[in-house]
Amino acid sequence: MDDRLISIIDDDESLRLALVGLVRSLGYRASGFGSAEEFLNSSDIAASSCLITDIQMPGLSGIELKHLLVERNYRLPVIMITGRADPSLRDRALASGAICLLKKPFEAAALLDCIERALAA
Amino acid sequence: MTEAFTDSADLLDLVQESILVRRLDGRILYWNKASEALYGFHRAAVLGQDVAALLHTRYSVPPDSIEAQLRDTGRWEGEVTRCTASGAELQIFVRWSLRPADAGGPATIVESGHDITDRKRAEQALGNSEYRYRNLFQAMAASFWELDFSAVGRMTRRLREAGVADLRRHFAENPDVVREMIRQTRVVDVNDQSLALFGGGDKAALLQSIEPFWPDASSMVYAESVVAALSRKPNYAAETRLRRLDGREFDVLFTACFPPESLAKGTLLVGVIDISERVRAQGALQKLQADFAHAARVSMLGELTASLAHEVNQPLAAIATNGEASLRWLGRPEPNLDEVNILARRMVADVRRAADIISRIRSMASRQVQEKSALPVNAVIEEALLFLRHEMQGQGIALSLDLGADLLPVLGDRTQLQQVVVNLVLNAMQAMAQAGTAHRKIAVTSRLSSPGTMQVTVEDSGPGIADAHRAQLFESFFTTKDAGMGMGLAICRSIIEDHGGHIWADAAAGNAGARFCFTLPVASQN
Repeated sequence: MDDRLISIIDDDESLRLALVGLVRSLGYRASGFGSAEEFLNSSDIAASSCLITDIQMPGLSGIELKHLLVERNYRLPVIMITGRADPSLRDRALASGAICLLKKPFEAAALLDCIERALAA
Repeated sequence: MTEAFTDSADLLDLVQESILVRRLDGRILYWNKASEALYGFHRAAVLGQDVAALLHTRYSVPPDSIEAQLRDTGRWEGEVTRCTASGAELQIFVRWSLRPADAGGPATIVESGHDITDRKRAEQALGNSEYRYRNLFQAMAASFWELDFSAVGRMTRRLREAGVADLRRHFAENPDVVREMIRQTRVVDVNDQSLALFGGGDKAALLQSIEPFWPDASSMVYAESVVAALSRKPNYAAETRLRRLDGREFDVLFTACFPPESLAKGTLLVGVIDISERVRAQGALQKLQADFAHAARVSMLGELTASLAHEVNQPLAAIATNGEASLRWLGRPEPNLDEVNILARRMVADVRRAADIISRIRSMASRQVQEKSALPVNAVIEEALLFLRHEMQGQGIALSLDLGADLLPVLGDRTQLQQVVVNLVLNAMQAMAQAGTAHRKIAVTSRLSSPGTMQVTVEDSGPGIADAHRAQLFESFFTTKDAGMGMGLAICRSIIEDHGGHIWADAAAGNAGARFCFTLPVASQN
């Protein structure tokens, strides 16, 4: 077991709960947020070892959040997920510094691989 | 002349009929006061004259036959034409009685007569009108039927005597009674056009009960016409379907008129005009409109594909993720069944959610017949916005909803009204995208604008509507979009007007954006 905390942001509640469940089943601690703003205002922001965030959300997008984290000197690795198959989005996501971009729906192995890369970084 | 005759002659002056006595050779022996009045000749002037010559009498039958009848029976009666002293021609109905010769004198003929000129004229006029009517009956391009409904009259009288006050309701509740009335109604006469319309080689084929011509589904039209006749309406008209002799049904305009003379005779006159062409054309037009609306919905769904794909993808991703997590919990040395239980429940819920989204898309895309029911207007708005939620997020649009509380339901077709809201919001989104609007806002409000009227408003922060465009906005094929078909607002208007409401556009309050409003009548409470 690994007691590192992974934070998850997705405005879709059922997917957020599913991701939290999956991350927990992988052996990590997990915490879910409905928006970037909610995460920014929580104490978990400093405790998280990794962030999994959706890109399209009301309010701040996942990419805007990543820029903000960089501005505020939070170094936690970010994995982005999206429902869109848009090549330019992938470029923008990776350019913002995301470790990986996963297209929904994705396999657990792919997420696990990303998490391991993120935690190793 | 005997004393007795003189007495009776005075008496005869009191009689209103013309009485005259003449000899067999025609010479007049007696002429009462009524004869003076009728023919204009004084008694003194006519005595001894030949009556036929004096009055220019013309007979309607050969004089030989009159004489023969007088000889055989002693009597004759019939119509003659005579001229008065002033030259007027009169029709006179006369009765002759032969008094044989006896000791008192020679054989005489006693004639009583009265003027039937006016009656003849009236009969002639009636005959003419009857003739004209027959001509019309035959010559009109419509099918005419003269129906004997005396049996129906008896049936309805019996119903009334049995205490049935509300015949319409009685008929509605007892279709068998109506059917029996139809069976008992017989065709007395039809015109040639009826043969052409209903088939059948000759008239005789149609002169029967109207039952074969009357499909069950049209029975209530018959019942209504009976109710109209009994409530002394002059006529009744309705569109319905009738059946040809070969069994084929067709659409007709059915009219029945109830002139009092016909009713007294127990007949009524029915006109049937073939409107199947018109009904077919209307049907084709409606289908065209439905096809068009369908095409517009499908093209709208096309524009929404990305949003809808995302909507469905979301629960699918959740299901996949929950499944993976379940496998991991199960694959542990000590499987955690509690976790799996929770995840399995979530998967079921997500599947349901995906199915709901798909059925929403399907109902929007399908070309269903309009189905109106009492709908909460706010739910319609919220469901419509579900289609657009993701697209709005993607475009960074701030949506504000101000939906009135405790609103009464409206009577409408859920899918069509959703289509209106989706169209208006989609238009706002596209207008703002095309104009590159920096702060994109859409506000949707619902409220009761007056008792009985609901108003929904969709307002944006885009470039607004050019004054020059305002008048054409709702016309078909009008568009300001780069790739627009120009059907969206035209269809919105036809939907809203079909629901008894209005739709219009004006400038948004306090900024340059556009505002679209539509009203819908509140569903009646009963």
